[in-house]
Amino acid sequence: MESVTPPIRLEGVTQRYRVISERPDTLRELFSKFFRHKTTFHDFDALKNVSLTVPKGEMVGIIGRNGSGKSTLLKIIAGVYRPTAGRVQVTGSIAPLIELGAGFHHELTGRENILLNGLLLGYSKREMLDRQQAIIDFADIGDFIDAPVKQYSSGMYTRLAFAVATEVDPDILVVDEILAVGDLPFQEKCFDKLKRFRAAGKTILLVTHSMDQVLKFCDRAIFIEKGQVLFDGDPEQAVHFYRDRVLPSEPVLVEMSSH
Amino acid sequence: MYELVRETFRYRELIWALAMKELKIRYKRSVLGFLWALLNPMLLMLVLSIVFSTIMKINIPHYAIFLLSVLLPWTFFSQSLSYAVESIVGNADLIKKVRVAKLVFPVAAVISNMINLLLSIIPLALIVVLMRHPFHWTWIYLPVPLLALTIFTLGATFFFAAANVYYRDVAHILQIVLQAWFYITPIIYSLDFFPEKYRWIFKLNPIQFVLNGFRLSVYYGMLPTLQSIAASFICAFAALYIGFSIFRRHQNDFVFYV
Repeated sequence: MESVTPPIRLEGVTQRYRVISERPDTLRELFSKFFRHKTTFHDFDALKNVSLTVPKGEMVGIIGRNGSGKSTLLKIIAGVYRPTAGRVQVTGSIAPLIELGAGFHHELTGRENILLNGLLLGYSKREMLDRQQAIIDFADIGDFIDAPVKQYSSGMYTRLAFAVATEVDPDILVVDEILAVGDLPFQEKCFDKLKRFRAAGKTILLVTHSMDQVLKFCDRAIFIEKGQVLFDGDPEQAVHFYRDRVLPSEPVLVEMSSH
Repeated sequence: MYELVRETFRYRELIWALAMKELKIRYKRSVLGFLWALLNPMLLMLVLSIVFSTIMKINIPHYAIFLLSVLLPWTFFSQSLSYAVESIVGNADLIKKVRVAKLVFPVAAVISNMINLLLSIIPLALIVVLMRHPFHWTWIYLPVPLLALTIFTLGATFFFAAANVYYRDVAHILQIVLQAWFYITPIIYSLDFFPEKYRWIFKLNPIQFVLNGFRLSVYYGMLPTLQSIAASFICAFAALYIGFSIFRRHQNDFVFYV
């Protein structure tokens, strides 16, 4: 191994949300709560004491049901959340593709959003202008590139978001189940790109509900449930684990999921 | 404070892009576009001249200049606040998906309004010429109150942007506060309207020192006293210190409340 520091290292990470049944969103509610002297909340650990190390060049699938903590994990790694407890160490540039359109502004055109998005990810204007054409070519959405993104279909949105996140050439790419939105040719194009990414020694985290994708592309898979890592290792075993826990009674025919 | 300067410099390209985005959206779908930034003060002057000199018979000569010299900076202040108060909540989409320094949003709001203010100096100069008001050499002093006002405005925007994350009422309260503040500040009137013994009340108003600097140099052709300049900068830095401290302390939690 040429490098000793792994790109991603989490130690005992806990993310606690305070779930207030009726959060006082306005002062009126705050006052009425205050005078009644009761607040109804409970603490909820979206992630509990998660430790994780991802070495360079690995493609890791993250699986689990809705609400198990997958996205929280990605957001902590992407630096969007600062965890309640634990240590997070991320080395290298990171491009997060969290939910649809990693921060596009609806009124701006695709071209303008490329620049804005790149600046948000910490790249300079110069770097973004150099890459603009490559991004536009990869997104392949034709004249829509100069239309405001509010007129985009969700597929076009994803195309552009994916193109920006990958063409900026980050060390770490974080993808949160957004690829399901693109059509098949584009999905193929994306996975092609991901494969080339991995070949270039980059680290990829992929949240997905498609066990197919996990089996086909990932070197390793992590199964999360109720904020804890229940399995971490071989993708095949992880998928097995997933099916046992998430689909206990059903026969194994739900494989096509997102396709 | 050092952190604020460093981060602003580090994210200068992003801040500029956000400021430009705001201006673009503000003037989007309007035929005249950016021209509105110039046209607005002109039309405002027309209305005000008619109302105050013809109907209300205020006997301040060249009232439009008297008023605009302070109204334009005040508009910068109040518009910056109105934009910035929503700047964190309004960018929830970005904040929840990308790791980004939160201070870029209020700073961008102030900068986009600053561009507007600078543009509006052109019509103000034009009005001065048209009304044959003397073009005082003291205009060159304008960068000083501009700097103090910007610092003061930044402080206020940091405070309100942060507060609005936790209580959305803040945006509504702010509008009332700005309305009231407008009337207790010598903008449409002069401090001399009031008997000497009540004037101290107005001296408690932290923004009036800096606004007075604008009026003195543009309308009267005078410079403020050193005490007044010092007071304007003390108020400005105090506002920035308080506002940014609060903002900084809470910025990492914004993402959980937007």
